[in-house]
Amino acid sequence: MAQAALPKSSLTVTSAPFWHCGRTLKGMMTDTLIALTPAMAMAVYQYGYHAVEVLAWAGLAAVLAEALAQKIMAREYTADDYTALVGGLLFAFMLPATTPGWLVCIGSALTILLGRMVFGGYGMSPVCAPAVGWCVMTISWPDLIDINGMLLNWDLVHPLSELKYFGLEAVAGLSLPSLMLGQNLGALGAEQSLMLLLGGAYLIARKQLRWYIPVSFLLGVFLTAQLYHLIDPQRYAPPLFHLFTGGTMLAAFFLMPYPSASPVWRTAMLLYGLFGGAVLIIIRTYGIYPDGMAFAVLLANMFTPLFDLIQPKPFGGR
Amino acid sequence: MMKPQLHTSVEIKDTLREAPLPSLVRIPIEPLHKPVVKKKQLVSCGQVIAENPAKGPHGTGYVHATIDGMVEDILPQAIVIGPPPAPKEGEEPPVFERPEPMADIDTYKGEALCRLLLELGIDTGKFRPSRTLVINGLNPEPGVIVSELLLKEAKPILERGVELLERAIRPATVYLVVAEDKKTSLYSCTVVTSTDRYPHTIDPLVVHKATGAERPDDVDVISISDLYRVGRVGQTKLPLVEAIVTVGDGVYRVATGMPVRELLDATDTPHGKGWQVALDGPMRGEPLCDLSVGVPENCTAITVVQEGLFPQVGPNPCFNCGECVLACPAGIQPGMLSRFVEFDLVEETRSRHIAACLDCGMCAYVCPANRPMLQYLRLAKQQLAAKDAQLAECRLSD
Ligand code: SF4
Ligand code: SF4
Repeated sequence: MAQAALPKSSLTVTSAPFWHCGRTLKGMMTDTLIALTPAMAMAVYQYGYHAVEVLAWAGLAAVLAEALAQKIMAREYTADDYTALVGGLLFAFMLPATTPGWLVCIGSALTILLGRMVFGGYGMSPVCAPAVGWCVMTISWPDLIDINGMLLNWDLVHPLSELKYFGLEAVAGLSLPSLMLGQNLGALGAEQSLMLLLGGAYLIARKQLRWYIPVSFLLGVFLTAQLYHLIDPQRYAPPLFHLFTGGTMLAAFFLMPYPSASPVWRTAMLLYGLFGGAVLIIIRTYGIYPDGMAFAVLLANMFTPLFDLIQPKPFGGR
Repeated sequence: MMKPQLHTSVEIKDTLREAPLPSLVRIPIEPLHKPVVKKKQLVSCGQVIAENPAKGPHGTGYVHATIDGMVEDILPQAIVIGPPPAPKEGEEPPVFERPEPMADIDTYKGEALCRLLLELGIDTGKFRPSRTLVINGLNPEPGVIVSELLLKEAKPILERGVELLERAIRPATVYLVVAEDKKTSLYSCTVVTSTDRYPHTIDPLVVHKATGAERPDDVDVISISDLYRVGRVGQTKLPLVEAIVTVGDGVYRVATGMPVRELLDATDTPHGKGWQVALDGPMRGEPLCDLSVGVPENCTAITVVQEGLFPQVGPNPCFNCGECVLACPAGIQPGMLSRFVEFDLVEETRSRHIAACLDCGMCAYVCPANRPMLQYLRLAKQQLAAKDAQLAECRLSD
C-alpha cells in the first residue's frame, strides 16, 4: 500500500557507485557448487549410495547447524547464500565414503559451529572451517574416519598410506591416470584430483577465484616434493604423485583460498600458497597422518596475519 | 544482471548535439554566492545574477542567467528563472539586452585575466600560477564520453583554452593525458598516454601518470570540461551559460540550470519509477531524488540506471574476501576500514591510511557482499574532518 501512495514518477535513490560488477556471495557459492559437481559425480560413481548418504547428511547438518546458531544469536538466516551447504560438502569431501551418518552430522555441524559461528559467521573466522571440522573428527574418532579402516570392502589401496607405511615401491605401480581419476582408495571427494582441478579451473575462468593461491600452492607442493625427490629418489615420491593424491587439489582450489583465512594482498597470497604447499609435503613426509592436508591448511591459516603484513605503500603515503 | 565495462575510451562517431532551450531554469548557486537580482526582475541571458563577494583572482565564478526571462524564486541552492510574463494589451513585449562581448579579452593577462574569467563564470580556484598543469583528457568514468568527444569535436575551443590559461597563469609545464589509442595533441602540451580503465582516469592517478609523483603539492589538474569552459568563454567573449553533458550515448550542449527531467525527456531517456538518476558518472555520481533539479555547469553526465540491473546494496557483513583490496588504487584495505566504521571505531581508520582513499568507489563496485563501501568511507572521512575541525577550534580558543 505504501508503494501505491507514492507519486508515479518517484525514483529509486541509492548512493554511488550505481554500477556493480555483478559478483555476489550467492553467485560465488553457486559456482562453487557447480565446480564441486564433477567430483561429487565421480565419488558417487565409485562408492555408490554410500557417497550420496555422506554428502546428503553433511549438507543437511551444516545448513541446520547454521540456522540453529543464527536463531540463538538472533541473526538473519543466511541458508539461501549456500555458504553452509558448501562448507558441509567440502567437509564431506574429506571423509571416507562409509563414515556413519551420525558422525557425518556431528562433524558437519561442528564445521559450521566451531569453524565459523563462534567467530561470528561466514567470513569472520581466521581458519578454514571444513579443515577445522576434519581435524576435530580426526582427533576425536580417528578410527571411524580412517580411510583404510573404513573402506576395507573395496579391494584397493590408499596411495598415501601405502607410501607412508610401505615405502615408495608400494605405490610405484599406481599409474598417474588412475590417481587423477580417483580410482584408488581415498577420501570421498578429495581423491577426485582431475575433477577438482576442472572445478577449480572453472572457478578461475568464471573469475570467482583468483589464481594466486591455487597456483602458488600447487607450485609449493611441486617444488618441495621435487626437492625431496632429488635428495633421495628411492625414498621420496615424485612431485606428480603428490600433486594428484590425497587432498592436494581440494586444498589448492577450495580450502586454501577460504576467504577470511587467506591473505588479501598479492605478494602475501603468493607466499601463503607456497608456504602451504611446502607444509603439506613436510607433513606428509614426517607427520603421523598419511595426508594431513587439513593440518597444512590450518597451519598456513595461522600465518595469514603475518603474510598480510607485506603490504604496499598507500597511495601518496610517506 | 549485467557486467559493465570499466574501459572509458570509446570511438567517437557522434558530434556535439544541442539540447532544446528550456523555458525555465534552476541555476545552482553555492552558499558563498550573493544573489544580485530580485524576484520578478527581468533578466537576459548572460546577465550576472549572483556574485562571489571575494575580490581575489582565484575562486568560484559568478553566476549568469542562461535564458531570457523573469526571476521566479531565489532559493539557497538555486535561482529559478522562468518565462517572462506575457505582455498586456497594448504593451510592447520586454526587450532583453544581452551583454556585449568582451572584445578586449586578449589584452588581459595574469591575475587580471583570471579575475575576468571569474567574472565571466569560470571557477578559477584550480588555476594557480607557475605550477605544473595536467589536463586530464581521459573520459572521467565509463559511459561518460564528454572528454573524448570534446577533444575530437571542439579542438579549436580547447586550444583557445590552453592559450588563455598560459597567458593567465604561466604554468611551468602543461601535460595532456589521453587514452593509449587516441592520437591527439593540443597546442603546446606534452602528451602522455595512459590506460583508460577506470579508476585510472581519476585525477590523482592521472597526475601520477603524467608526473610520476603521488599527490604532489605543486601540480594542478583540470579536466577537458574545465578547459572547454575557459576556451568557450575565450571564443565567444561572453559569460558562460552552458554545460556539456553526456546523456545516454549522446553529448549535449545544455543551458545551465535546465531541469534534469526536461533534459531526459528531450533526449528520450527513460526515467521514473524503478530508475535511478544521478548527476555525473555511474561510479561517483550524486544521486537525485528530485528531477526538477537544474543541471550544474560542471556536470559531465546524467546517469540513469534501471533498478534490478545490479545486485542490491545492503548492510551485509564483510566476509573478508579481499576483492576490494585488490581493486583499490590507493593500496589500502577498504573492507577493514569499513568494518571499523560499522563498529563505530572511526578513530582507528586514521592509522590505516584512510587519508589515502581516492573516493573512486571501486571497493563498492567489486564487493560481492554488496556493502555500501563508499558510504562507510565517506562517513569516516567526514567524521574525522569534523573532529579535526573541532580540535582546531579548541586550540584557537585556548
Ligand atoms: S573508494 Fe575504495 S577503492 Fe577507491 S580508493 Fe577509496 S578505499 Fe580504495
Ligand atoms: S570486497 Fe566486500 S566482502 Fe570482500 S573484503 Fe571487501 S568489503 Fe569485505
